[in-house]
Amino acid sequence: MTDIPAHLPHRYPFLLVDRVLEREPGLRVVAEKLVTNGEPYLQGHFEGRPLVPGVLLLEMLAQAGGFLESDSLHGAAIFLAGVREARFKAPALPGDRLRLEVRAEGAYAGLMKLKGTVSCEGRDLCTATLLVKRL
Amino acid sequence: MSDLKLRVKEMIIERLKLEGMTPDQIEDEAPLFGDGLGLDSIDALELVLGIEQVFAVKIEDEAAGLRAFKSVQALTDFIAEQSKG
Repeated sequence: MTDIPAHLPHRYPFLLVDRVLEREPGLRVVAEKLVTNGEPYLQGHFEGRPLVPGVLLLEMLAQAGGFLESDSLHGAAIFLAGVREARFKAPALPGDRLRLEVRAEGAYAGLMKLKGTVSCEGRDLCTATLLVKRL
Repeated sequence: MSDLKLRVKEMIIERLKLEGMTPDQIEDEAPLFGDGLGLDSIDALELVLGIEQVFAVKIEDEAAGLRAFKSVQALTDFIAEQSKG
């Protein structure tokens, strides 16, 4: 799936998913984000030593999680409701092809629990549990 | 306290990380949400997952949840009833 903007309402500079590789709605999504030196946030994070802010890795997982929903999220109100057990194990750097893997753990009353991993070349950079609320 | 009710209370404490709380501090009839234990919607999802994992009972929708989450007693009855079938 390459028509990412048709599904997610996020736009530059905050659209953080480039490609969806695998997708089983309600169960599992694997997506990709390619990091380049052109990312606006790398200008200041940090000068002379660019690395992707950890919170943006969480945002990438949340956006990848948007593809667990079968329908386009345009017009839908979905918000991050919680982040748990977030671990940042290694930095994401310009040139990295980030693999965003998200699994649905369960849902109740519009709230969904997701487990996500950001990895690069088989190495985990970030793991976290996210709670997402659909209003 | 019945064995099942004790296990329900232990599951609540463990799943919601109510550190320092013991099963006998949770009243049988106190509401789980709002004034009682003061749980929120994220806790509700954790309980739904905990009940499924520990007791193999599914809470299918919000109507079932509303009934089951009235109190520890109601939840114990709900689990006993569902695991019979």
